[in-house]
Amino acid sequence: MDAIATILPTFLAAEPAGAHAPGAQVGSGPPWAILIPLLPLLASALCGVCAMLRVKSKAPAFIVVAMLGASFLATAAVWLQGGGPGPMAGASVAHGWDWIQFAWGDGPGQALIANFSLYLDSLTLLWMLFVTGLATLIALYASEYMSHDVGQGYNRFFAYFALFVFAMSCLVMGDNLLMLFLGWEGVGLCSYLLIGYFYKKPSAVAAAKKAFIVNRIGDLGLVLGVFTTFVTFGTIEYAPLFEMVGAGVDGSGHALHGSWQATWIPIFFMIGAFGKSAQLPLYVWLPDAMEGPTPVSALIHAATMVTAGVYLIARMYPIFLLDDAHTALTIVAWTGALTALLAATIGMAQFDIKRIMAYSTVSQLGYMFAGLGVLTTTGAAFHVFTHAFFKATLFLCCGAVMHGFAGQLDLRKLSGVAFMKGWGVVGVAMLVGCLNLAGFPFTAGYFSKDMILAETFVTPGSVIGGASMVGWILLLTAGLTAYYTFRVFFRVFVGPQMYEPGEEHGHAPHRHDHGPGHPPGHGEHDLADARDQAQKDEPGGAHPHGHDFHPHAPGLAINAVLAILAVASVLAALTYFIHKPDHGWVGAMVHHSTAHFGGLDAHHGDEAAHASHGSFLGLDPHKAMYYVSAVIGMVGIFVAWLLHYRGRTGAAVAPADRLLGALGPIPRWAQQKWFVDELYDFVIVKPLWALSNVFHVIDKLIVDGLVNLAGLTPRGLGAGLRPSQNGLLHSYAAGMAGGIVFILLVVWAVS
Amino acid sequence: MLLATLLIPVVAALAVAAAPADQARRIAGAGSLAFFGATLILGAMFDWSRSAEFQMASWFALSAGEGGVTVGLAVDGVSTMLILLTGLLAPLCVFGSFTAVSDRPRTFFAWLIALQAPMAGVFMARDIITFYFCFEFTLIPMFVLIALFGSSNRRAASVKFFLYTFTGSMMTLAGLVYIVWFNATRLAPDGAGAGAWTFAIDTLMRASRSMSGSEQAWVLLAMMAGFAVKTPLFPVHTWLPLAHTEAPTAGSVVLAGVLLKLGTYGLYRFVLPFVPEAVVAWAPLIGVICVIGILYAGLICWVQRDVKKLVAYSSVSHLGFCVLGLFALNAVGSAGSVLYMINHGLSTGALFFCIGMIYERYHTRSMQELGGLAARMPVWAFFMVFFTLSSVGLPGLNGFIGEIMCLMGAFQSGATWGVGGTSGPLGPWFGGVAATGMIVSAIYLLYMVGKVVFGPLKEPHGHGGAHGHGHGHAKDAGAHGALPVDLSKREIAVLTPLAALCLVLGLYPVIALRPLEAPVAANLAAVEAVRSVVAPAEALAGVEAEGAGR
Amino acid sequence: MDLATLAQGGLLHQATLTHYLFVSAAMFAIGMIGFLTRRNLIIMFLCTELMFQAAGLAFIAFGRHHLNFSGDVFVIFVLTIAAAEAALALALVVYLFRRKETLDASEWAELRG
Repeated sequence: MDAIATILPTFLAAEPAGAHAPGAQVGSGPPWAILIPLLPLLASALCGVCAMLRVKSKAPAFIVVAMLGASFLATAAVWLQGGGPGPMAGASVAHGWDWIQFAWGDGPGQALIANFSLYLDSLTLLWMLFVTGLATLIALYASEYMSHDVGQGYNRFFAYFALFVFAMSCLVMGDNLLMLFLGWEGVGLCSYLLIGYFYKKPSAVAAAKKAFIVNRIGDLGLVLGVFTTFVTFGTIEYAPLFEMVGAGVDGSGHALHGSWQATWIPIFFMIGAFGKSAQLPLYVWLPDAMEGPTPVSALIHAATMVTAGVYLIARMYPIFLLDDAHTALTIVAWTGALTALLAATIGMAQFDIKRIMAYSTVSQLGYMFAGLGVLTTTGAAFHVFTHAFFKATLFLCCGAVMHGFAGQLDLRKLSGVAFMKGWGVVGVAMLVGCLNLAGFPFTAGYFSKDMILAETFVTPGSVIGGASMVGWILLLTAGLTAYYTFRVFFRVFVGPQMYEPGEEHGHAPHRHDHGPGHPPGHGEHDLADARDQAQKDEPGGAHPHGHDFHPHAPGLAINAVLAILAVASVLAALTYFIHKPDHGWVGAMVHHSTAHFGGLDAHHGDEAAHASHGSFLGLDPHKAMYYVSAVIGMVGIFVAWLLHYRGRTGAAVAPADRLLGALGPIPRWAQQKWFVDELYDFVIVKPLWALSNVFHVIDKLIVDGLVNLAGLTPRGLGAGLRPSQNGLLHSYAAGMAGGIVFILLVVWAVS
Repeated sequence: MLLATLLIPVVAALAVAAAPADQARRIAGAGSLAFFGATLILGAMFDWSRSAEFQMASWFALSAGEGGVTVGLAVDGVSTMLILLTGLLAPLCVFGSFTAVSDRPRTFFAWLIALQAPMAGVFMARDIITFYFCFEFTLIPMFVLIALFGSSNRRAASVKFFLYTFTGSMMTLAGLVYIVWFNATRLAPDGAGAGAWTFAIDTLMRASRSMSGSEQAWVLLAMMAGFAVKTPLFPVHTWLPLAHTEAPTAGSVVLAGVLLKLGTYGLYRFVLPFVPEAVVAWAPLIGVICVIGILYAGLICWVQRDVKKLVAYSSVSHLGFCVLGLFALNAVGSAGSVLYMINHGLSTGALFFCIGMIYERYHTRSMQELGGLAARMPVWAFFMVFFTLSSVGLPGLNGFIGEIMCLMGAFQSGATWGVGGTSGPLGPWFGGVAATGMIVSAIYLLYMVGKVVFGPLKEPHGHGGAHGHGHGHAKDAGAHGALPVDLSKREIAVLTPLAALCLVLGLYPVIALRPLEAPVAANLAAVEAVRSVVAPAEALAGVEAEGAGR
Repeated sequence: MDLATLAQGGLLHQATLTHYLFVSAAMFAIGMIGFLTRRNLIIMFLCTELMFQAAGLAFIAFGRHHLNFSGDVFVIFVLTIAAAEAALALALVVYLFRRKETLDASEWAELRG
């Protein structure tokens, strides 16, 4: 493998001018870097203008693609200027404008400052490069994919899309935790808006709501983390923060090792990360998020937004390392592993290929978290990087299928798609993506997954409790991943050619106007495709069955994007061979950022430390894992071939079905997602709803009741005295006389 | 200048009342714009670099001679901001009600305009006579607006609104009178107002600080009675949902936008600096009440069926954040609280406008009858979602800054273990538990948006359908003719300034934060002084001992 | 004592303040008892007049006792008012009689709470 490294062009291998050392001065970055977030924002605003002017063309798509492309170029420019094409040396801050500034004293920690400024280091740029790059490509793809919505939701879609990139840039580039939070919530909002893009579908609205609320639970953790960080360090700006953390002291100079803050700040951040990156127990929103248009699933729910949690932990890694017991990291490692396994088991039993991809995303995010947990930010970041490309490819291929077959996503109703006319690019891209995801040797996914797996066995159990157990879980999951990935490939893309169009086909003509009594779509379909079919087919032609249906092969934009992404997925593997001492180009980028300094990660190349390595069955994990994971991946693929390809004659049935009987109810439970949603509904949502109703009744009867009771008291007194006012002159006169007598008696008694 | 600002609405109200009915709208519009202009000039004349000082002071002798009553007006940074909010909402309310009110427009617009004067007066008052007069006088126009122009249950709502808040503020009056009496009879004359019958806030503030701990506690209780009802804080909030549901749109906007802020402003201006010792002692209890209120009212929102009632309950929940920040007794909390007052006025006021626009078209606010209106009214849906997000506290919009600062203030208050903490009576638990309110607010507001804005289109019987253009109800829409299906230009013009301000305050809050630094610090000086002498726990013990000794 | 001395005020001179007040109190008591026991509106009205005059008598007596005219002034004032009041009251009585053809005061209880 080292031979490959020497063959590679070495121009990327230039060492940075100076490594980022703890406490190094943070200079000021190029002010025009602020354009990176502002260009997408401008694009979003322009799309808003288009919406106001009711533009009925593809103009917003062109605006967005151009602006996002410019943003990508700006990112690349910042990177090159800062010492690229290798990692940048050190960090710099580019000041945009004052955002939140409030001082109540002159001392340290007596001012809350969160500016709209960008923190530029190689970790930031690593993320921004693939975020803006992929966003540009996917916007291009969406320009064709969403073309049925031109004049309807098209403007809206691209406004949200560009706004997402703005928010994501704020999240990644912000130089303080509140700006990160701005982006964090901003991407959540865009995710909400885009999942609910087909807002007439109740399922889409419910999924959007679920995503936002589950994310908010995570956000609570993040907010608490921000507060605790501020109180502890007196600042939430990265530059001074990392300086203090590097020295291991809090804002007043006390050592932090062993303090409760060192344990709890990471735990709070970790909760935030679990929400955004769909980890146990907060993963439930991501599969439902597939209600959104597929480009959104590819960009937001596979490649970028969901990796924000990984970014947060990587960014805050120095704080995570402050805790000598590594409590948070141990939880992160175990949660990642369990999420990976759980999501993989659910993914194996699904029939909707987009949902399978969603669960595989959850599962792969679990790998990244496990990587973070076992002290390899490099591995996690590398997996984020490779996963971004191949998962985007996979989603976009699924989107192309969905687009072409009227919303059909059921793997029992499609077969041999890759060999149909016009579907070659999709088939090849899908194969590339599947090989990556399955961890086939020498693919990018293979190297990145491998790095994480190796580190789980390298990291001693005394540092991260049960690290090797995490490794075994992940190895098992790797096999399952290969199986379910190729289950999709063998069922849908190869084999006998047959198809059944999706539900949107027959319903399509009715889709244009829903009256109040005409409930719109249900289940898994895209309105976009529905409109497309309505336009493609003869006007008014309702086809109850698929006889007259012709698959709609992808056009130029989709094919071009798929080709580029497939190539990029392959090329991503090559980055592993640049900067070999740092474990590849991504590793170099990570090592020259705060995600690395002062950490245990530094043991690489240190012979004395190497001796204390854990081992994989007595072998050096770094070397053994190449072979072990390759074998496991291929076994998974072979099983999939055995069960879903060999001897398969139709779309609906496969040899695997024979096994189902032997497994009893387990596949059905897995298909029902192990009833986690039902469990949450029963344990959290229902009781909370009941409690709300109880409160409502209490409010009406007791809280307001007491007030009304107080109001009734004077009324009751009045009612009691009322009979005395009988309206008869004599009784009044008698009362008067009695009163006089009474007064006289009192006067007499007193005197 | 201040007096002129106050007189404009009074004169405009008289003019509206005297003018012919068909001119009422126009005159009210002009008057409200003039009032807004005056507040803008006021904001421009105010020297923001000295925002802690009370500027443009003017004093008037009501009765001459020795011991005569003198009243005064002046503004500091906080007052000016709230006056600007009042000024902004005034024309929006008037223009927003152009078609909604067709019956007795003179009465409606005259009282609506007249309401602006006492509201601005509360923020300007520098003596407790002006303050209390204005504070109470707001009840009358509001009572009329609800009782005459409300929905079906308006009578009960208006009576409850009036009596509830009036009862509370009578107790506030008792507290204020006690301070006046204390100053006049218990203090030695010092030539600066002590030992004499005076109503000036500055003098009384100094005087009341020398009251004993138990006296302060009683005065605190008396003041809280009025201000907490007005705010409203849990558990004295039940008048608000009723009043909001029954009030006409403009009434709800003013109620949520400014009237509720009179309560929190009272807490800020009177409770904190007047009785610091009692405040320090009792803040934890008030903090607990706020946290309970945030979650309790938030969960109640979730089960509401009436959109307006939902937003009304959300006000209770939101103002819990506001008061929590205030009683964190530190600068971040106080500044957050003041910002929250403004932000809540903008976003909740706007939400009430949005709901009013729906009500004008469909004559219902029930979530069971409405749904998926985004399909029918995309522009309205945009604004509705926008202001909902502002209300949820989405970063980048205005709601976030106030909310995060209130929570942070509560969190750092008493967190003396870190350099970023401040002394204070609350602590991380308060901030942490209150922060779960963020989740609750997302739940109920998105639930509402999911039902009303998104989902399959659902309109009440007789509206919409394939040919529905909303003409069926145009007859009772007033002299200005039929409303379009989506928002009219006038309605967009009402909502746009609010949306723009939400964005500006969200993306560039520094313009509001910097001027708040000095006045907030000045307002907290008394509390700081108390805290440097006694630790909170000791002060509390002292109050209890004295209370027991009575 | 002959009439002349009587006429010159002999007996009257012997009558002290107490006597006048006694007569006044008696008149007032008679008026009040009448007012409380009778139902006829005219009788009741006459009873109130009687109480009025009792008060007037007391005024005059005190005025005489103190040797000033304050009491006389009051009485003249009260008499004037009483005259006006009597006119009004009798008019009301006539009006009430026309409404119900009876003078029984217990027939009127419209102000019952």
